[in-house]
Amino acid sequence: MNAIRRNLRVVRRMTAADIAQQSVYRGAWIIFMLANICTPIISLLIWRTALANGAKLPVDERYVTTYFVLLGFVTMATSSWLAGFLAQDIRLGKLSSWMVRPASLLVKFVANNLSEKFLKLFALVPMIGIVWWIFRASMNLPSGVGRWALFAVSIGLGAVLVFTIDILIASLAFWMDDVTALVQARVIIASVLSGAVVPLALMPAWSRGFVDHQPFRYTVSFPVEIVAGQLSGHELLAGLGIQLGYVVVFAALARVVWSAGLRAYSAVGA
Amino acid sequence: MSTWAEEREPLDSGWGHKQLRHLRLWRRFFAQAVVRETHYRAHFLTTLLVGLVQLGLGIVPTLLLFGFTQEVHGWSRAEVIALVGVFQIVTGLMATFVAPNLNRMTTYLTEGELDVVLLRPVSSQFYLTLRWINVAELTNVASGIAVLAIGLVQSRLTPGPVQVVQAVVLAACGLVLLTAVWSAMSFLAFWLQSVNPIGFVFLSLVEAGRYPLVFFPVAVRTFLTFAFPVAFATTFPVRALAGDLGWRTVGVGVALTLVALTLVRLLWRRGLLTYSSASS
Repeated sequence: MNAIRRNLRVVRRMTAADIAQQSVYRGAWIIFMLANICTPIISLLIWRTALANGAKLPVDERYVTTYFVLLGFVTMATSSWLAGFLAQDIRLGKLSSWMVRPASLLVKFVANNLSEKFLKLFALVPMIGIVWWIFRASMNLPSGVGRWALFAVSIGLGAVLVFTIDILIASLAFWMDDVTALVQARVIIASVLSGAVVPLALMPAWSRGFVDHQPFRYTVSFPVEIVAGQLSGHELLAGLGIQLGYVVVFAALARVVWSAGLRAYSAVGA
Repeated sequence: MSTWAEEREPLDSGWGHKQLRHLRLWRRFFAQAVVRETHYRAHFLTTLLVGLVQLGLGIVPTLLLFGFTQEVHGWSRAEVIALVGVFQIVTGLMATFVAPNLNRMTTYLTEGELDVVLLRPVSSQFYLTLRWINVAELTNVASGIAVLAIGLVQSRLTPGPVQVVQAVVLAACGLVLLTAVWSAMSFLAFWLQSVNPIGFVFLSLVEAGRYPLVFFPVAVRTFLTFAFPVAFATTFPVRALAGDLGWRTVGVGVALTLVALTLVRLLWRRGLLTYSSASS
């Protein structure tokens, strides 16, 4: 219990320090978030045109609009970018200096993730707000607080899931020289299977079973579906259950691979 | 064989010579880039593979869209695939010749590398925009040509020589226009110091070029034609191939390109005035 409390305190301190440091790049965050919402807006306009042109989609205009307006926020909130950096720290031996410290190197990445997301919020939320206001007439908004609470919980779980998948991939750097190709593959596969490019509801019927149950759906699409879609109470519970299951499985896997890697680690530069 | 003792043409004798010299220099850059690429064969292969996967994934939304409808605003699936081909060609050319340079703009300015460039007897803007070439990205141009061919065959379009000329000129205008816009965004580094993330905004806006212009609301169409002229890079060339465009659009494209080039040139000059070296 003590160890957890200490780690939490370290994360809090490091996050605060990181925020102070990163707020130097205020302009850069605004530009980054501008890029972040460009693609969802383009997709939104395209699919609305298709609907207006009489395309027979399995979902209505409200679903499509709500989906793409929220998409930029959810991809930001659940994103992780540590794999390349962590792999580099392992390869170049930076990990060595963390092994003699009272906190794990992973704590640094948790703090970095939290601080950057915190700063991105300030740039992103006003932009989403403007898009929201433009399309407010055709948005699906659940009235109850319950859905929004589930939305928040699901985003949290999704963020943890992406983070652990990244640790898992980066940990392979203990045995491989270069994991950049793997990282790139993860990004490309996830962009389609998470629903960040096209809503999973628009995927063809033959892919349904696979698309609905693979882990990447629970990193982006599922949280958005909670607000945008008409998931029944049963589907909601099942979805959250599966999401939690994936989090536990990937966290356990990442833990095993990480500690095996630490034992296999032969420090560079030590 | 000529030696240094002989009479030689002075370096800057007239406008034509200067352009020729730049062309010769650029040929050297290209030759050097090719030699360099042969040292990094793995880089060539991964660029090829990643490019193919990204091309495939880029078509996914289009294929899904046309699974639900036969045509959208007069565009059939085959025509949109041809358009994706043109998009791939133009963005591939930019990734080969322009992107490796503009992505360095921040270091040029913050590390003082620009000082060395300014000392050289070449146009500094030419050097900064076209010095580095990523040969491996040419594979994406090749795959773009293949996709364009597939789209044209499927849509049973048989463009005549006039249409082909119009399309090529328009695509070239699109290429230069987009380069000018990206350059202008990068040259803002003179005033903003760090412009590294600008590339991300540019690349995500370019994504709009994967779709025909008419797929967007009217206000956005104007933006994509005149402010961020991605329409010239994809929609107009394909419509020219279909024989829907006259020389008027081509004229507008060329005129707009000249205006854009002039503006970027002025911006560069203006920026240089504010430049106070970072290393000396």
